[in-house]
Amino acid sequence: MSLENPFQDPLRFERRIPECAVVIFGANGDLTKRKLLPALYRLAYERRLSSGFAVLGISRTPMSDEQFREKMCSSVAKFLEDSPFDQEVWTGFARSLYYMPGDISDPQAFLNLAARVKQIDAERQTGGNVLFYLSTQPSQYAETARGIGEAGMADGKGWRRIVIEKPFGHDLASARALSEELHKVFHESDVYRIDHYLGKETVQNILAFRFGNGIFEPLWNRRYVNNVQITAAESIGVEGRGAYYQEAGALRDMIQNHLLQVMATIAMEPSATFQPDAVRDERAKLLRTIRILKPSEVLDHSVPGQYGPARIGGADVPGFRQEPGVDPQSQTNTYAAATFFVDNWRWAGVPFYIRSGKRLPKRVTEIAIQFNSAPHAVFGENAEEATPNLLILRIQPEEGISLRFLSKRPGAGMKLRPVSMDFNYGSSFGERSPTAYETLLLDAMIGDATLYTRQDMVEASWSVVEPILDVWQEQKFDFPNYAAGTWGPKEADEMLARRGHAWRRP
Amino acid sequence: MSTTIQPETILRELADLWISLGKESDPNQASGVLRACAMTLITLVEESEDTSDVWSVMAALMPEHPSRAIVIRFRPSAERALSSRVFSQCWMPFGQRRQICCEQIEITASDASLPDLPPVILPLAVADLPVVLWCRAARLFGLKGFQQLAAIANKVVLHSGAFGGPADILGRLDELTRSGRILADVAWTRLTRWRELIAQIFENRSYLAQLGAVRRVRIGFGGATPSSSAYYLAAWVLDCLDSAGANASLIWGPGEKVPEGELARVELTTSDSGGLQVAITVTGDAERVCADVRVNVLVSRTVFAPDNDYTLLRQELSIPGRDPVFEKALGRAARMAATEKS
Repeated sequence: MSLENPFQDPLRFERRIPECAVVIFGANGDLTKRKLLPALYRLAYERRLSSGFAVLGISRTPMSDEQFREKMCSSVAKFLEDSPFDQEVWTGFARSLYYMPGDISDPQAFLNLAARVKQIDAERQTGGNVLFYLSTQPSQYAETARGIGEAGMADGKGWRRIVIEKPFGHDLASARALSEELHKVFHESDVYRIDHYLGKETVQNILAFRFGNGIFEPLWNRRYVNNVQITAAESIGVEGRGAYYQEAGALRDMIQNHLLQVMATIAMEPSATFQPDAVRDERAKLLRTIRILKPSEVLDHSVPGQYGPARIGGADVPGFRQEPGVDPQSQTNTYAAATFFVDNWRWAGVPFYIRSGKRLPKRVTEIAIQFNSAPHAVFGENAEEATPNLLILRIQPEEGISLRFLSKRPGAGMKLRPVSMDFNYGSSFGERSPTAYETLLLDAMIGDATLYTRQDMVEASWSVVEPILDVWQEQKFDFPNYAAGTWGPKEADEMLARRGHAWRRP
Repeated sequence: MSTTIQPETILRELADLWISLGKESDPNQASGVLRACAMTLITLVEESEDTSDVWSVMAALMPEHPSRAIVIRFRPSAERALSSRVFSQCWMPFGQRRQICCEQIEITASDASLPDLPPVILPLAVADLPVVLWCRAARLFGLKGFQQLAAIANKVVLHSGAFGGPADILGRLDELTRSGRILADVAWTRLTRWRELIAQIFENRSYLAQLGAVRRVRIGFGGATPSSSAYYLAAWVLDCLDSAGANASLIWGPGEKVPEGELARVELTTSDSGGLQVAITVTGDAERVCADVRVNVLVSRTVFAPDNDYTLLRQELSIPGRDPVFEKALGRAARMAATEKS
């Protein structure tokens, strides 16, 4: 008999999810409560989970299964996004939730865990498949992976996969060391490095937009594109994460991972197929072609920033150095901007400007592709009429795509004005978009790593960012250099002005 | 009612509509309204039906399937008469300043004027985009001129449950499908929730491994005789079991406590007593339907999101081409219904 499920109907059904157990380390943490359990519940609500499904949470806090279920019930009800909480669905889903207390520094905890996983597998028919989700401190990743291996849980009758959250190291050497530790237990193909940006609908839509349409790809190169701007702005400050953020900074926290992945998606070559490794090969190839800055080039091509205090909307907003847990002399960058070049035939000479910061005027993430102006000003030299075409891919808050082009103003004479043609995910598709965690958890359970980051991608992006970090570390910057509620330091504007460009106002 | 309508007049009225919408919008905005169109959706209804329900469905579909919507209201009359009006459906996406609008045309026609409609509808269909015909009035299916109107459409959606006995209509639909017409039957669309649950159960490899041993399929329904939905489900399950090498027999379970024609329960069992036992049972009321899924001793409950014209049509509009799984099930269902009738 064929092992294919004859009942599947890909035209109408959602993707298949095999039976499995999800083991969450750090199950009492914020990520589990706010993101993971709401996402898993939502998958259950949409009937996308297998009947052979279970979640086993582990953390140091003593709790029974029942207490864990109750705790998760209130978290899921509170943190569900755009979705109703249904008590009956929850009751069914809660039966698949289990918990055990355990300290990952204790080898016995892993032996107990192995026994519990086996018991749950028999009880819930999870087919021996286990997804380990490390929702712990990054410093505990290697130790946890080792514990899993030593307890014999990395192999079994089904598949075994491990999901880890960023940061994947704090520099190239530590990223390599982490991968080496993970590879002692798991094969690279079973390591899922989550980057929730890649799970967002619009980031995935970039691939559909570029490679599903025939009309854009011919324009997607240095002949037509003048520059690309990627902005990830947050209006909030560090919100109690001052101590963590002080060690990370905007360049590490956002650009090294999320934004370089977005840039790779924008600039990569088309893959021959949509197979996970084919797409990831192209992303990795692009990351490797980003020009690595020489120390002497760094300060011309990058700008760090740190916000100072300000009054916004009548309220006093503290500067970064006034945030709780932050060193009053901190040199941490809460803003980072950089100019990157891709050294390949397609993109030679096209600047990719990337910026990310906290306490900027609004929360927005978007990619703007600015095309060259028309080669000859047929309609005059009026500045507005020379406005170049702009393609904007918005990632948040309103996911969508806009194309700006010129149109004639109604009336006598030939006056032009820019108009915008918008595609908005929210309005164009009534269907609720899945959250990034729903998409990514589903992919991990299915074994689709397309939207996950691979070791070579992590290392390539560290190679790009590390020279900047090294130079910044040697400098003493005159921080704060931008007021909260503004679009960052003036040096960032000057960086673009040197090439005759200016940041867009998102 | 006037006796004739001119497509050019309707197209001119549509053009005027866009001009007036543009004038109504804020002149300070860079652009006024945005026109959205992905297809022409023709809906046939009885004149006695409250068209506000139909337009509500259209309004709900617009954000996902923006279309030029043409609703044709029929009244049983031997007099040849046609009339029309045009208007628009606009919505303001949350957080946006610009309205998105779709065109809507309402035509009133007598039964006798059905053959006059194709030359009116053909020029009204938006160029280069698919045309879908949704027939809500089963009576029209047999009228002279219906097939010519249906021939304009790339896909025809109807509900076999609204016709008399399932044997005749399933046979007729099978014939049309074999002749190359793309059809959708809402009675089949309603089964997606059931089918998806069954498929999900057999994603478990240990259950899948026992599929070839399934010997009995029982389908419980309301009323005394199976509806077209019951035939579809039986045909699909048996087809799938055949492909898994199972030799299963079908048992109908009439008289379940659900409305006539509705499905209540599906069971799949292997021959041996310790083997696989699968049962899906609907519970709840019209307000809220749940499905209890029992696989041996494991029980889970899931919500069956309510089906309505909007959800069903939305599902069909997302499948513009042929649906081989439906067409295969239709063929077998038609044969089963014909055999049982004779």
